[in-house]
Amino acid sequence: MRREETVKLISAEGFEFVIDKKAAMVSQTIRNMLTSPGSFAETEHGEVTFPEISTTILEKICQYFYWSLQYASGKETEFHIEPELSLELMMAANYLHT
Amino acid sequence: MSNNQKKRNFQIEAFKPKEVVDPKYAEKTWKILENAIHEIYNHIAGGLNLEELYHNAGGLNFEELYRNAYNMVLHKFGEKLYSGLVSTMTLHLKEISKSIEAAQGGLFLEELNRKWTDHNKALQMIRDILMYMDRTFIPSNHKTPVHELGLNLWRDNIIHSSKIQMRLLNTLLELILIERTGEVINRGLMRNIIKMLMDLGPSVYQEDFEKPFLEVSADFYRVESQKFIESCDCGDYLKKAERRLNEEIERVSHYLDAKSEAKITNVVEKEMIANHMLRLVHMENSGLVNMLLDDKYEDLGRMYNLFRRVPNGLSTIRDVMTSHIRDTGKQLVTDPERLKDPVEFVQCLLDEKDKYDKIISLAFNNDKTFQNALNSSFEFFINLNSRSPEFISLFVDDKLRKGLKGVSEEDVEIVLDKVMMLFRYLQEKDVFEKYYKQHLAKRLLSGKTVSDDAERSLIVKLKTECGYQFTSKLEGMFTDMKTSQDTMQGFYTSHGAELGDGPTLAVQVLTTGSWPTQPSVTCNLPAEMSALCEKFRSYYLGTHTGRRLSWQTNMGTADLKATFGKGQKHELNVSTYQMCVLMLFNNAERLSYKEIEQATEIPSPDLKRCLQSLACVKGKNVLRKEPMSKDIGEDDVFLVNDKFTSKFYKVKIGTVVAQKESEPEKQETRQRVEEDRKPQIEAAIVRIMKSRRVLDHNNIIAEVTKQLQSRFLANPGEIKKRIESLIERDFLERDNADRRLYRYLA
Repeated sequence: MRREETVKLISAEGFEFVIDKKAAMVSQTIRNMLTSPGSFAETEHGEVTFPEISTTILEKICQYFYWSLQYASGKETEFHIEPELSLELMMAANYLHT
Repeated sequence: MSNNQKKRNFQIEAFKPKEVVDPKYAEKTWKILENAIHEIYNHIAGGLNLEELYHNAGGLNFEELYRNAYNMVLHKFGEKLYSGLVSTMTLHLKEISKSIEAAQGGLFLEELNRKWTDHNKALQMIRDILMYMDRTFIPSNHKTPVHELGLNLWRDNIIHSSKIQMRLLNTLLELILIERTGEVINRGLMRNIIKMLMDLGPSVYQEDFEKPFLEVSADFYRVESQKFIESCDCGDYLKKAERRLNEEIERVSHYLDAKSEAKITNVVEKEMIANHMLRLVHMENSGLVNMLLDDKYEDLGRMYNLFRRVPNGLSTIRDVMTSHIRDTGKQLVTDPERLKDPVEFVQCLLDEKDKYDKIISLAFNNDKTFQNALNSSFEFFINLNSRSPEFISLFVDDKLRKGLKGVSEEDVEIVLDKVMMLFRYLQEKDVFEKYYKQHLAKRLLSGKTVSDDAERSLIVKLKTECGYQFTSKLEGMFTDMKTSQDTMQGFYTSHGAELGDGPTLAVQVLTTGSWPTQPSVTCNLPAEMSALCEKFRSYYLGTHTGRRLSWQTNMGTADLKATFGKGQKHELNVSTYQMCVLMLFNNAERLSYKEIEQATEIPSPDLKRCLQSLACVKGKNVLRKEPMSKDIGEDDVFLVNDKFTSKFYKVKIGTVVAQKESEPEKQETRQRVEEDRKPQIEAAIVRIMKSRRVLDHNNIIAEVTKQLQSRFLANPGEIKKRIESLIERDFLERDNADRRLYRYLA
């Protein structure tokens, strides 16, 4: 995959998730980060660090991004959320404007 | 988290809620953000790479800024964040304002434009990092969203700053003025600045630019149009006005708000056209009348297109055109020179009509109101001359006699259609009918009509125009011609043998009433002829009992074979009267006028005309007259002209044909027309009263006039007389209570 089309999301613990830009842009916050006219550091490097999101949650978030793309294109499947993650996920969602 | 809707249904507590124990937390976080805003402005203004900034600023990145703003809002410091933003941005804008103010001359707009672009970019970035505030804090606290806030601050601090506001306006107006004088300006820059004003809200654009722009433009065009009108002729002026108008429209499309187009064109229209309309139209030597005279389609079209934009513009053109057509038309129909030749007279009318039809179709966009104006003008002046019906009929007569020879069918139709168009303008259609009938009768009886199809086509046209009643008699004439042919065939099959070599007779039996016969004295026919006529009479009455035949010798023609002194033989085509006269010379060498009159009993004016054409027309003078003179005297003596020669075998001797009617004849026709109108008016009154039972005087007059309009314009006085006559004859009665009311008596 070419670098321009992917973005690296880094969790609080330092785990790196390389995902498609298209998927990442499901988050309005990330979209703004990457498209803002001034070249922010994120745009320059193609990586975003989330010091307040844990690896487990970020992984789930990445899964959600892809699921959401599929859902939007008409493939209606269930997205399973483990109950113990739900609170944290919701807070992350608010943060990411997803 | 599966969708936004669900999430908004309940309030979410802070993500990873850390207890804000640090009382300076808000202050510290805001410092970071404030710093970032400064950096953004400085970075953009200085063209710095953000990466350097990122390093210089100690590791700030989007995520961090966003997170800080996010946390501030979550921790109820939204208000601090918002007011901090306002004051920080204001601070920057004040600085920007200073730098714009400092820009010299032409650089002013460029500096303004550049700063505007920068501000927009910065605003975008700031909005992005403060997105969470934009999303949650601002709607719930009814604050202005960040983007709009940025624009408002820009408006208040830059555009409305005392040192910029007027300068900006003046610069813009000056540039437009420069462009109007024909120089090139930086339209891209203009577009950006105007776009900025529009982005700041419609009121900013309107108040700070559009309104003064329109005022200045009005002044400009007022002065310019005054200058032009003093120095240019109408055509040039219109060209200039058109160009200005197009320039303004183009200007709007290049760098103004599309909504301004109507406003600025309105200004140009008012200043350049509406204010000078009358002066333009009446401009000496180049105004509307001259354009019409010279068929200046382009100028006229331009005038039409410009004037239609302003109120009353078209009606001004129309009024002037109407009065011009009326004036020229009036001159035309009352010019005694013109009246000498009816054919040319009508041709002039047709040419005039063609001319204006062309102008209306080429220059006036086929405007219906103009066509109507044209029609009403023609109607007006054609009816000024009471001889128009006669002349139109004469024109048709001329065309149908000879004018249409060798002309294709379509062209015939075109000519006839044009005639019909003139006919439509006539108010006295019955007068036309009268003349048409006379002329048609002459054509049919003398066999002069060129094309039966054309004749019939015209009748059909008249029928569609005026209804069956109008043409029934004309059609009857055609039927008579046809039956006469059959009758003659029958006569010759049954009597042909006994007639032998004698003269041949062709009788046309004409139904009384259909034809415009005049009660005429029958002249004495030569013996051979009267015998033959008698035979025909008995044959005809034998097959058609109960009819009466009377001879119309004044309308016939004859072909004579004549041998002159030196043996030259000719066939002479003459009228019946002339035939009678010539036959006398079979038995006599010389005859005096009196003798001829006695022998033939032709009415004296007819006889004089007939002798004149036999003896006085050069090249056709089969008779010789003593003494030689132009006119026929009662004491003249006539001889056969033995020296008569002609290069043709057949010689047609025309009677001095009544081209135009003479004055007494005219009076007579008029009288007959008046006479014919009486029963028609009475019939109309009775028809109306029969259905209405009771009606007052004015209404009767109006209804009758309306009913008879397709035939003639009824004279109210005449209608009144007819009503009285009907009352006398017990068709109507006056109401006892109200004398103005009439009652129908069944």
